[in-house]
Amino acid sequence: MTRSGLVAHCVNFCRVLRTRGVPVTPAETLLAARTLSVVDIGDREDIRLGLRTVLVLQRDQYPVFDAVFDEMWGGGSLDGHSARSRTTQPPPNQQRARVTLETWMRGEDPTREQRVAVRQASDREATGRRDFATFDNEQSAAFERLARRIARRLALRRSRRWKPSRRGARMDLRRTMHGSLRTGGEVVALEWRRRKIRRTRLVAICDVSGSMELYAKFLLQFLHALQNTFARIETFVFSTRLTRTTALLKHARWEQALSGVARAVTDWSGGTRIGTSLACFVEHWIDLVDRRTVVIVLSDGWDTGDPEVLGAAMEQLHLHAGRVIWLNPLMASPDYAPETRGMQAALPHVDLLAPAHSVESLEKLVRHLAI
Amino acid sequence: MRPEIRRIQDVMERESYITDRQVATAVHLAIALGKPLLVEGHPGVGKTEIAKVLARVLDTDLIRLQCYEGLDVTTALYEWNYPKQLLHIRLEERGAASLDQREHELFSDRFLLKRPLLAAISHEGKAPVLLIDEVDRADEEFEAFLLEILSDFQVTIPELGTIRAKERPMVVLTSNRTRELSEALRRRCLYLWIDYPTLEKELRIVRTKVPGLAEQLARDVATFMQSLRQAGLSRTPGVAEALDWAAALSALGAEQLDVAVVRETLGCIVKDEDDLRTMEQMLDEGRLAAMLSLS
Repeated sequence: MTRSGLVAHCVNFCRVLRTRGVPVTPAETLLAARTLSVVDIGDREDIRLGLRTVLVLQRDQYPVFDAVFDEMWGGGSLDGHSARSRTTQPPPNQQRARVTLETWMRGEDPTREQRVAVRQASDREATGRRDFATFDNEQSAAFERLARRIARRLALRRSRRWKPSRRGARMDLRRTMHGSLRTGGEVVALEWRRRKIRRTRLVAICDVSGSMELYAKFLLQFLHALQNTFARIETFVFSTRLTRTTALLKHARWEQALSGVARAVTDWSGGTRIGTSLACFVEHWIDLVDRRTVVIVLSDGWDTGDPEVLGAAMEQLHLHAGRVIWLNPLMASPDYAPETRGMQAALPHVDLLAPAHSVESLEKLVRHLAI
Repeated sequence: MRPEIRRIQDVMERESYITDRQVATAVHLAIALGKPLLVEGHPGVGKTEIAKVLARVLDTDLIRLQCYEGLDVTTALYEWNYPKQLLHIRLEERGAASLDQREHELFSDRFLLKRPLLAAISHEGKAPVLLIDEVDRADEEFEAFLLEILSDFQVTIPELGTIRAKERPMVVLTSNRTRELSEALRRRCLYLWIDYPTLEKELRIVRTKVPGLAEQLARDVATFMQSLRQAGLSRTPGVAEALDWAAALSALGAEQLDVAVVRETLGCIVKDEDDLRTMEQMLDEGRLAAMLSLS
């Protein structure tokens, strides 16, 4: 293969990698071409290791890279392989499924252990504890306490960074020295600094569809308590479509708040369209979410829509949020496994899957909320 | 194989860093393309060692920045030496210098504490190797700042002006993946994942680093480590543990691995209480023989 043929092949290789889920940028494609001039292009292993170093961003991508490399660069000599490469791209849907499948099957997902651990904890406590489904108003005080704990936890989260302040924990020597120059080297005013407060925000999206009937009211009560103790939270509910409830829940009294929400949500206890509801959130509200935001989805994962829509929406959420937590009341049951198609589509984009059937289970959540 | 890659591999082995082609290729590319190299892998597989060996190979200085949560610009980049400045002001109190002159003097090179990043940028002579160790431990803000440094290799100090690197340092970053690094940082770097070594590689490492060890024992150690990593411990031991263990066995004058010897030296390889219990149990069940018969 000629030198220019080789470069063309390399560019094509980058394109195929992109379709298989290894996001190669044009800059990296250029770098790949440069790489070919500093490795031995007569040696396949040199090319493989070289291109892999340059094109792969993380370990997860090694298997896909190696597979595509084997398909496109053949064994031994490099002649005559560029023609074959054009036929090696599977249709887009298949590729997507394959990438997801691969991520899933490798099972090295760092959050997985966490998920299992939380789950086991819930199994133990499920017996003998009261479900939300069976309890009444007496627990609203417990909710308020919990909400206050969460609010405190999020409010007092101190950053490692320092900022100037009038009074503070430590002296800011640098600014003090600078200030002293104005007074001929005499330190007149001491400057102080203190830790910045890290501002975590919450976005809660709660499923109030038919299948969640038993839990929706109680989860809403939890959100109501949160909404009234913690300033930086946005709440949404959905069944078949999404409704923003931040303002509605801000009523001091729970009964009023509930009736306000009930009036605004017309499809209460209807069917479930998690995917389209979350997609709607992504379309209209994603600006509420940044790296300092914890997104909490409260739902049982019974989705009647297309799981791909749900997967794509969750992927977007995960991309923007600092953490994505899925609270599933069904996890109270010891033999629950997240096997619904909806849950399956969402799981790869969830940092923490936890139960939400009792006040105790929600209390466990507190430590996962601060980022 | 490109001769440079072979040469790197040879020199690294001469420095008794047992390596493979993948590592040598990555190092070669980092040098040839002038890009930072991000090395990821489990603890104890020799990530940090790459930078050290590289500095020796290139015959240049190694400047190391150890990252930790809360690392900030004053510890990573520069800080003014305040006590010295104060002292200076006192001494010069009666001097005739004008305020401008004094300020100029006060914020000069003499009073600047160069932290690793600035030290690497303002390094005189041959470009150094800059090791940014465990970058995953620093927080995201610091990572963003690092990106800026890595793209320009220049720093602006308000009182002094802009300092630019004469020659770009060769940068190696390591990460244990305790936190996902930003994509922007990854894109800036070449990437290398170092896995646990294969049996052959580990055997060579043990032989090279603990030369006093009997051949059969070295083989047993390597085999045992390989099967131990499959045992699902909560802290999988790395190469560093294998070497500690081999050194301990050598010091004890052990001749072969048996249950008593393993039990005695367990602390070298297992460093977690739960794992220790698991191991004790495995030994009680007589599974040592099985763990040694991998090969």
